[in-house]
Amino acid sequence: MVSIRFHGRGGQGAKTASRIAGTAAFLEGFTAQDSPLYGAERRGAPVSASTRIDRKPIRERGVIARPDLVMIADASLIPDPSARVLEGVDERTVVFVNSPLAADQARAQFSIPGRVTTLDLTGIALEHFGKRGAISALLGAVAGRLAGLRQGSIREAIARELTDLGLAPPVIERNQTVAARCFEAVQPVELDVGARQAMAVAQLRAPTYEPPTKGTAGITAGPNSAIRSMSGWRTFRPVLNPELCNGCWLCFANCPEGAITIKPDGKPAIYYPHCKGCLDCVEVCPTDAMTVERETEAANNT
Amino acid sequence: MNKMNQTSQMMTGNLAAAWGARLADVDYIPGFPITPQTEIVETLSKWCDSGEVNARFVTLDSEHSMMTAAGAAAATGARVFTATSSQGLLHAFEVLYTVAGWRVPFVLVNVSRALASPITLEPDHNDVLAARDSGFLQIHAETCQEVLDSILMAYRIAEDPRVCLPAMVNLDGFYLSFTREPVIVPDPQAVKTFLPPFRPAHLGFKGSAPRALGPAVFGGSVYSYFRHQMHLAAMNGLQVHEEAAVEFERLFGRRYGLVEAYKLDDAEDVLVMTNAFASKGKAAVDAARAEGKRVGLLRLRVIRPWPAEAIRQALQGRRAVAVLDQNLAPGQGGILYQEIAACLYHGAQRPRALCSFIGGLGGKNISEGEFRSVFEQTAEAGARGTGIGPVLLYTEGEHREMEQLQYLAHDLKTGK
Repeated sequence: MVSIRFHGRGGQGAKTASRIAGTAAFLEGFTAQDSPLYGAERRGAPVSASTRIDRKPIRERGVIARPDLVMIADASLIPDPSARVLEGVDERTVVFVNSPLAADQARAQFSIPGRVTTLDLTGIALEHFGKRGAISALLGAVAGRLAGLRQGSIREAIARELTDLGLAPPVIERNQTVAARCFEAVQPVELDVGARQAMAVAQLRAPTYEPPTKGTAGITAGPNSAIRSMSGWRTFRPVLNPELCNGCWLCFANCPEGAITIKPDGKPAIYYPHCKGCLDCVEVCPTDAMTVERETEAANNT
Repeated sequence: MNKMNQTSQMMTGNLAAAWGARLADVDYIPGFPITPQTEIVETLSKWCDSGEVNARFVTLDSEHSMMTAAGAAAATGARVFTATSSQGLLHAFEVLYTVAGWRVPFVLVNVSRALASPITLEPDHNDVLAARDSGFLQIHAETCQEVLDSILMAYRIAEDPRVCLPAMVNLDGFYLSFTREPVIVPDPQAVKTFLPPFRPAHLGFKGSAPRALGPAVFGGSVYSYFRHQMHLAAMNGLQVHEEAAVEFERLFGRRYGLVEAYKLDDAEDVLVMTNAFASKGKAAVDAARAEGKRVGLLRLRVIRPWPAEAIRQALQGRRAVAVLDQNLAPGQGGILYQEIAACLYHGAQRPRALCSFIGGLGGKNISEGEFRSVFEQTAEAGARGTGIGPVLLYTEGEHREMEQLQYLAHDLKTGK
């Protein structure tokens, strides 16, 4: 069995990429299973998805604990402990990172124990689509290539999955074309899917009763969202050009994180530590005063 | 505090429930009317208005809101009472589980009424037993006196730091709710001794100290821990109930067990029942004993936590046991029968036959003749060594009336 785990941020297309890989394998006659995991839907929040491919019936469910291949759509997830991107990764695991960095650089910078491959999917998407958007087709194509699937089945899988999402045929075609380039830009690797060591019998713990102060699900530590930085969630950042701003406050009203405040002069200001890069403010700005800049791995610490 | 101060008066089960809340000196009563419960909240609203009860009474827009208000008020550290029935309980169902997870002790009285459809007003226990897995403790009462006493005990058990779960006290609609019988009203000073002021360490909202109850947890292990704590808390209720029962007897002279044994000592066959119809069951036991049959009755009083050991003790070594469920799980049978069977399974001396009877659905009477049939079939099953059921208690005569109704409802109109 080949086990592929995808990691991305809500809106990037990790779930769809996982489905593209699953559908492509299915079309080639494999037994396939794809299964996403996300919490309360929130753009920018960590998302993972698992695709399993085998010749035999798949007797597994849920998140892949020991992946053969990890597909990382957003490198900013790697240091986030809640995203568990490197869980179960060891030296035999193949790890793909969507990054302009070279494989060795990425391996060193993110301390990845596995065999690393990189490609700047975001840069390719910007170049060919001319705008920010989901990279599901590109990520799915690279996953398929690394897992040894055929280009034709991936092309068909992209059509099926993007049609399901309601995309127009010309958009789907463009995705197929760019995905084919990504497919060719990556070399297939030998996945080590050999026998695993059996797990030891679990030591079960019989919980004892604890007083309600401990045993009740509650938080008394007070508001803590102020100290939670969401800078790492951004692939892109909104930037305000005050010259073009007409002071309509639509960005302020639409920011889902309350990261935009109004200054005494009536103009908005973005508080970047709470900005998750959803770019809703850019969408609603009537005067194009909000522009978009791509974050780089090293720079988005503000 | 002495027992002489206890005076008795004629009162309905509903009035007895209101008295329970009054004596518990509750702070907050969210209410919503529903037959056959309305008299409880009506009485309490009157007492709140007259100042006899020093509580805030609020009418909510539904039972869902009512139960949310009850849980939220209890989370502030207030002592809360509320009541509902049947469809109302089901409307509040989502919130039952939610507030139980908040570990907020308050008392909810449910006046049992069979569930739609078809709609009716009279009792069976599909309403209260549907809530058996919610995390609420459950005490089921046989008499109006027991309704009042159980509310006081329920507060004491629910508020104990070893438990801290909400509690439900159940009484049968009509057969108790609207039925008057003599009830001793406990001395309020003695009740204050029995129920000290509610001071929960883990509850109490303040504007200056915000807190979140029941926040989101993902991944399953954190959830497992908290849900299992609820199980342990409910199981602690068995011991806490016993302690409360001892103290209650000391102060008021009445003793309540987790289960009640009626003429069990030499009984070879045992009938298991709950709630008001257990009175009829006891009369049936007396009648059968007059004919020389060695039968007895086990009344289940505390349903959650499930007193498995007490039930095993009472039923082991019997020839046959008949569980009379006043409920029906379609596609399964009697609800309590399943739980009794499970807790007897590992007993060394489990009864030779375990029989399941379904009776009193929608408040249908269980006649003397039907009880005779139950005892007869149970004795035969015991002699044979194999159980039977589920057997519906529903007579030939009743079916003739049913056919007449079907004729009126269909054939007469269509002229067939």
